[in-house]
Amino acid sequence: MTEMTHPFSMANKRILVTGASSGLGRQIAISCAAAGATMIICGRNAERLQETLGQLAGSGHVTILGDLTADDAITATVEQAGNIDGVVHCTGISIPMPARMAKREFIERLYNINVFTPQLLTNQLLAKNKINKDGAILFMSSTAAVRGVHGTSIYAGTKAALIAAARCLALETAKRGIRVNCLAPDLVETPMLHGSGANMPTGEWLDQQRAIHPLGLGTPEDVANAAIFFLSPASRWITGTTLIMDGGITH
Amino acid sequence: MSELKLDAFSLRGKRVLVTGASSGLGQAVAIGAAAAGAEVVLTGRDAARLEETRAAMVGEGHLCVTADLTQADQREALVSQAGVIDGLVHSAGTAAVRLFRQIDEDFIHRDFSINLDAPLLLTQQLLAKKQIAQQGSIVFIGSIAAHIGTKASSVYSASKGALRPAARALALEVGPKQQIRVNYMAVSYIETPLLTRLAEQGMGGSMATVTEPPLGKGVPEDVANSAVFLLAPASRWITRATLYVDGGLTCQISAQ
Repeated sequence: MTEMTHPFSMANKRILVTGASSGLGRQIAISCAAAGATMIICGRNAERLQETLGQLAGSGHVTILGDLTADDAITATVEQAGNIDGVVHCTGISIPMPARMAKREFIERLYNINVFTPQLLTNQLLAKNKINKDGAILFMSSTAAVRGVHGTSIYAGTKAALIAAARCLALETAKRGIRVNCLAPDLVETPMLHGSGANMPTGEWLDQQRAIHPLGLGTPEDVANAAIFFLSPASRWITGTTLIMDGGITH
Repeated sequence: MSELKLDAFSLRGKRVLVTGASSGLGQAVAIGAAAAGAEVVLTGRDAARLEETRAAMVGEGHLCVTADLTQADQREALVSQAGVIDGLVHSAGTAAVRLFRQIDEDFIHRDFSINLDAPLLLTQQLLAKKQIAQQGSIVFIGSIAAHIGTKASSVYSASKGALRPAARALALEVGPKQQIRVNYMAVSYIETPLLTRLAEQGMGGSMATVTEPPLGKGVPEDVANSAVFLLAPASRWITRATLYVDGGLTCQISAQ
């Protein structure tokens, strides 16, 4: 089999990844580049974005520094990105918060980063015809969108919004063969999971979670491999769907 | 071009059993799995057409086993020849459509015997004989009919629909220790001999009531590529999942 006809090859594809300075976004950039793609990687932290860039195989990759919650950063990103074959929206935050403590400021912050940013960026990319025919749009949802977890009512809503949006977007972009899907991972071992702060999980809780997932917790590589599937020709007939990846926990 | 790193999507060194390999989706899955590097055990009822599939496959060591999987003795014969496998794709199936007022007990039993009993019992035997390797992957090919409930397909929808919860339950039994994954694919309208035959028989009424998928009809290779993903290490954390391979059909109808 030649490289060019490999159904999972990313050769000759230009892929935009947001949130590429750490965690899932970084791994997706690394894996896509290793699979042959030219990457356009976005993030807020120059140093860490450079670290990601340093880990990309191949050449011709581009970094775009900016905070995508600002409209002008979205406009600049769309301009600098050029024509792309795929976009993976990895910008996002996950902060558990009991409903009785969740104030407007908190809710607006989560929706702003998790929903408005990927939607506005997508809309601009489509408006400016930056996504090539047969391209792919991939949103990072979460199993929180489909299974109730104590303390995540706000976060769950932001992730469910992406699933609903993807289904409608899929219909709007089907004429051009552009596909729109969501990945909904459960707990993945990323810096976000091991972060610090009052609401961050304890080691004991994490061990408990590892035990109750039939296949344990995920790795960033697992999510990156699924992203490659959804960006590659192998999934050219899949759109409007959400793939739950969760080591079997979701009921 | 530098060498591409796509090992996670390779089936090299794996043995994959594909049922219904003599035509349509099963044939494409067998060809696709072989292209990804697998050694394939092909099974189906028609020996000549199984050989045709094998002739279209790359690689060595593929084995054809003619069997009618609704028959216990033929399932046993298949299991005794299949060896230890890493992947199992259940493609064999019937899609007989009939209006509800025309169904009878025989029709129901026949449909369930092919679409539900045979894949479950074959899987059970392979597991009982420890012929599915650690970290193996089982894929059931279902239909979006099970999620939508299309006209004249009450029995077909039910038998395909039954596979999904069966797969999810099985995954819990084989997941923690054996790390075997079990997934279900919900497929919509693919250009296959089966779909053509249904149309020729004038039984396409159920199809016409559903709009064309937003991305048009699929080709068998689309299902094959998804099957390769679900068999490959790339999906090692995915189990109990439903993968919709449907050209966008069901996202319009709250059936997911």
